[in-house]
Amino acid sequence: MIMFDRRLFYSFGWSLFLMILAFSALSLLNLYSASYQTGLVFFKKQILWVGLGVLCMLVVSFINYKLLKQYSLYLYVLSILLLLFVLYFGREVSGSKSWISIGSFATIQPSELVKIPVILALARFYDNDYQGYSYGLLDLIKPALLVAFPLVLVMLQPDLGTALTIILISGSMILFIGVRKRSLALLLALVLGFSYPAWHFFLKPYQKERIKTFVDPSRDPLDSGYNAIQSRIAVGSGGFTGKGFMAGSQTQLRFIPAQQTDFAFSVLAEEWGFLGGVAALLLYFMIILWILDTASRSKDKFSVLVCFGIAAMFFWHIVVNVGMVIGLLPITGVPLLLLSYGGSSTLTAMIGVGIVLGIRMRKFPVPATAVELR
Amino acid sequence: MQDFRSRLVVSTIILGIAFLVLASRLWFLQVLKGDEFELFSLENRIRVERIPAPRGRVLDRYGRELVVNRPSFDIYVLPKDVDDVVSLSKNLSMILELDNKDIAEKVSQASRKNRFKTILIAQDINRDQLAFIEARRSSLPGLIIEVNNLRQYPHGTLGASFLGYIGKVNENDLEDNPKLSNNALVGKTGIEKSWESSLHGEDGFVQKVTDALGREVDSSPFQKDLKSKNSVPGKDIFLAIDIDLQKAAEEALGEESGAIVAVNVKNGQVLALASKPSFDPADFIKGIDSKTWTKLMNDKTFPLVNRATQGLYAPGSVFKMVASAAAMKEGIVNPDNRFHCPGYYRLGTHTFRCWKRGGHGWMNMRNAIVQSCDVYFYKIAERLGIDTFAKYMNNFGFGSVTGIGIEERAGVAPSREWKLKRFKKPWYKGETIVSAIGQGYVSTTPLQIAVMTAAIANGGTLLKPNLVLKEVTFSGDVNEIKPERVARVPVEDEIISIIRDAMTGVVNDPRGTGRRARLENVTVAGKTGTAQVVSLDAQTGNKSHMDHAWFTSFAPAEAPEIAVTVLVEHGGKGGAVAAPLAKKIMEIYFKLKEERKANDNV
Repeated sequence: MIMFDRRLFYSFGWSLFLMILAFSALSLLNLYSASYQTGLVFFKKQILWVGLGVLCMLVVSFINYKLLKQYSLYLYVLSILLLLFVLYFGREVSGSKSWISIGSFATIQPSELVKIPVILALARFYDNDYQGYSYGLLDLIKPALLVAFPLVLVMLQPDLGTALTIILISGSMILFIGVRKRSLALLLALVLGFSYPAWHFFLKPYQKERIKTFVDPSRDPLDSGYNAIQSRIAVGSGGFTGKGFMAGSQTQLRFIPAQQTDFAFSVLAEEWGFLGGVAALLLYFMIILWILDTASRSKDKFSVLVCFGIAAMFFWHIVVNVGMVIGLLPITGVPLLLLSYGGSSTLTAMIGVGIVLGIRMRKFPVPATAVELR
Repeated sequence: MQDFRSRLVVSTIILGIAFLVLASRLWFLQVLKGDEFELFSLENRIRVERIPAPRGRVLDRYGRELVVNRPSFDIYVLPKDVDDVVSLSKNLSMILELDNKDIAEKVSQASRKNRFKTILIAQDINRDQLAFIEARRSSLPGLIIEVNNLRQYPHGTLGASFLGYIGKVNENDLEDNPKLSNNALVGKTGIEKSWESSLHGEDGFVQKVTDALGREVDSSPFQKDLKSKNSVPGKDIFLAIDIDLQKAAEEALGEESGAIVAVNVKNGQVLALASKPSFDPADFIKGIDSKTWTKLMNDKTFPLVNRATQGLYAPGSVFKMVASAAAMKEGIVNPDNRFHCPGYYRLGTHTFRCWKRGGHGWMNMRNAIVQSCDVYFYKIAERLGIDTFAKYMNNFGFGSVTGIGIEERAGVAPSREWKLKRFKKPWYKGETIVSAIGQGYVSTTPLQIAVMTAAIANGGTLLKPNLVLKEVTFSGDVNEIKPERVARVPVEDEIISIIRDAMTGVVNDPRGTGRRARLENVTVAGKTGTAQVVSLDAQTGNKSHMDHAWFTSFAPAEAPEIAVTVLVEHGGKGGAVAAPLAKKIMEIYFKLKEERKANDNV
């Protein structure tokens, strides 16, 4: 159903597209510095991922979102199958079976990619179901099950960081649709009631350890506490203007753990300082704002919900990852979309943006009341 | 759709707030706390390597080496930088021929305690081992080679009793000098301890850039952050000791337990300070092992006690000089007053015997000293009274330390007051009488006797024994230690010369008790002493309940230079056992003096 309309070109979200390109360049620059000492392997791979990602973004943006809506349940089922496949045939990396090898070159983390089908499925569910009133507890069972299937499979890997983001994204969407206040209070009570047995029976010792270490990083200066301390030192020592490109001593001397992936932001903050960190945050802010703006211009429920879901995905990835890097939140393996090294997260982010672009350019004419961001 | 719009507005507000929180946290970390974290980051990547200062040497009065240093290559591990304990301990155990498990246990134990503190694995490894390790250093992260200095003793055990020994710092040492490293060796006794602050020097350091695994990396990009400081070697200590004389003294004692002290009577310089039995300071070079330590501590002959300064003995008849000076000064006797010695003296119901059963007959002061008549001194002491006598004992330096600067004990110069305080009992007259012949409560060190002898020889000046002549810094700055007069003994020259004349008689008169100390070319003056050992078990019948033999002397009698005091524990009669030893020392002293004079003239 790919059709070309001249208006598509004019209403294409050029500003978002350019912001994404800018971020990709920033990510590569950052990665260059972080992997310079180890032969630029990550840097070279990421160039390919970014290229592939931009391609995916463009391709996806040209798919009519109505088609996406139509096929969203198939995508959802496909992603569940992929997750099952990972559980049986996945490659184990540091205790988690989250990866599928594609040839010898690349690995893919389906749990990362599954976020998009979940967003689409939820949006489609509510598009059909939404009646204009707030949902009660019983009404939440269906959407909860929709989220629960992939969530449980991700938790089995176990990939807690991704599971957390899936909960946060889908939770945000469900709240966005509306939940009755009474039900919400009841839900909250249930969660709190379950957290005690969860702590004692469900959490593995190392998971408890992570939470305890978050409260007091010095109790485990060797492991996760070490990461927290080193990351904070790197960020803090960056100062106002930073130590300069490729001059971050904590980065260059490899004191920062996983500096290409989960701690990419601390590399940026060390080398570019407060100015660089805030600039990156501002760019993220604008991207999310742009996506929310697209949501506000949408005329159908499905596209509003999809845009909101993708905005929530970016939002939570940024808040959880940056919060962890700067010592506000516990250390969980959540990558920073568009900045961290990694094929799956790059593709997820790009596909997400592609969907938003696709929605945006099919919304003409543009309502005059919306905030102009282009 | 309208309610979605309003929710989007709420979402945007939440988004804004969240980003504000993140940005303000960045502001807090990077701007407000930036300097603090900058410091952290420096500490993070910079490893400080200690450059230990070589400890100062100890030399004799002629600059001959008694204690020197040699380098020791020591292997340390910094637990924080060890990434694989198993392979590290395996490699080290192979190279150093140590037990694999011991090393692994040591490292993992240390990393549990404090990962940032280095621990010693092996000391003084040989050249082959060093070369082996140097070549494989890059594959042994966390390993540190440190060059330290170890004590070396060119003369073996010579002078060990006053040189003292060194050992690992303990918490008290660290309190005294917080700059010390945890692995430092410090003086524990003797010169090593007393002059610790001079000998120790100041450690330097060099900062090196390391990566997250603690491996040293190219430091050029971080040069501005790096600091270093050279070590300041410890000062050399020049002793007043003459190695030749010290050797003579230690050889003279041979296998006996005892002490020999030789001092210059004019300035108090200690030329020899021998104590036997002694220990081997080499046992302490790397910090003593517990087995050897326990053995030394449990040794019944107390090799760690410096008998010359810490051994307390009844002085016996050598104490008679103090009694005679006091009696003459107090006008109780004049030298010509004669007392009859029937071989005993009765006081109340108690009979005090003279060592000569048959008695000495009529004795004046000179004869009483020459022949060491006890009854004569019983009589003058009774008239003197303990309080006056105690004053003179103090004047001659008894009952307080001499201030030689190494471990010493004060001994006892008893008085009425002292006894009341110590035993809560009144003083008895009989106790005054035995004090005059150096028995009873009187206890002294050989060094105190030597100081008293020097005071008599030099005409009445009580000197502080001077063990250290000077300290010299590495750059050659000299700090001379001036001889110190403690006091003038409040006794006139005439009285002192009467005592000196009598002491000359002890060695040279036909009936003198110290004739075995006679030298051919030099007139020696002296006094014998035989101190009863009261507290010993008489039933054992072994040597341990024999008397202590004393001999104290000076020479030449007419112009005294040197005083020599000899104590042989359980040696028997002073005249028979101790006097010949003093003679040997004197002989060598004058021979060396002649030789040096001859050499100087050449």
